[in-house]
Amino acid sequence: MTPASSTHLSEEAFDDVLIGLGSPESETHLAVCQDCWRRVNAFRSDVALFNSASMAWTESQPVLLKPSVRKTIHRTRLAFVSWAATAAFLAVMAVSVWHHHGAAAPPGQATAPVSQPSDTEAQIAQDNQLLQAVNAAISPDEESPIDEYKLVQARHSHMKTDHK
Amino acid sequence: MGNLRQALFLGHGMATATLGSLRIACERRPRIESAMAERAGVISELDDINELVRLHQARIRRFVTCSTGDPDLADTITQDTLLRAFKGRESFRGDCSLSTWLTGIAINVTRDHLRSGRFKFWKQLKATAVDVHEMASFLPSEGVSAERRVLAKERVKELYAVLETLSYNQRTIFLMKFSEEMSVDEISEILGMGVNTVRTHLHRALKAVRSKLGATI
Repeated sequence: MTPASSTHLSEEAFDDVLIGLGSPESETHLAVCQDCWRRVNAFRSDVALFNSASMAWTESQPVLLKPSVRKTIHRTRLAFVSWAATAAFLAVMAVSVWHHHGAAAPPGQATAPVSQPSDTEAQIAQDNQLLQAVNAAISPDEESPIDEYKLVQARHSHMKTDHK
Repeated sequence: MGNLRQALFLGHGMATATLGSLRIACERRPRIESAMAERAGVISELDDINELVRLHQARIRRFVTCSTGDPDLADTITQDTLLRAFKGRESFRGDCSLSTWLTGIAINVTRDHLRSGRFKFWKQLKATAVDVHEMASFLPSEGVSAERRVLAKERVKELYAVLETLSYNQRTIFLMKFSEEMSVDEISEILGMGVNTVRTHLHRALKAVRSKLGATI
């Protein structure tokens, strides 16, 4: 800071005034120095113009926000209600299913999981043959891991014995 | 009043002191009541989403638009900000103004967007920008000569152009100070930065503005 009106405010002191942290000496200087006062006013005027134009521009933009905000809040409330309804429905369904299974099972016997019908011997042998054929087609030189079980040969010999 | 009577019996000096404290209490009461009424007003403002949007949407949108330079992103952030404010209205303690509180939320929402990378992605994809010519044309024209209006438009464009060259922190702090009219302490608290750091950002921003806008400031 410099004495009033002999020299002007330093850049730092000038910035501090603009920021609102000017020292008492700076304020005293501004009271007597027209040049510095004009500079401060020029800055404030530019900022005021910018604020005025940007606010007017923003206010002119279409207000798309309000309905969507409303919708989101409405959606939040709806979500809670729908969750509660779904939970209640699932609870009713679970109780009815449990009740149905409990009634169908003979007394004193636990309900056992129903197993899938097992594949026939012929079907298994056919699948093994198919797997070997695929393997041979992909890499004819390599021995298939299934060979070590001798499933196909065993099946063939078994079938021949049966025919005899 | 019981205290006052007792003090009068005890002596003039003490009575004066008690009266003094009573007067202070009476002077304080309207202030406390007005503060409570103000807080009640703010809470009812927060409770009404329509009122919140009506009163604060444009200001937040302006701040975020100028801060990010992207009007589309600003719309999303403004919406998120108002929703967060509405949902978290119980956490508003009233130790700062509602505007300051909302600006703080807007800054946090913007930071989340910047961190998530969505900002960069959309920036690259859409590259929407503020039409500064359009913005400058929104200057009020009543009682202003055509010449002055042209000059004013130029100043707005120049100032916006300078703001675009600043770093995100410098620009945001500049806007918080000169558009949102916050104190350095408030900015420091909201951004979680030291007061001296905020001052440094402001000094750098002002230096850039001064150098670009010419010798007048």
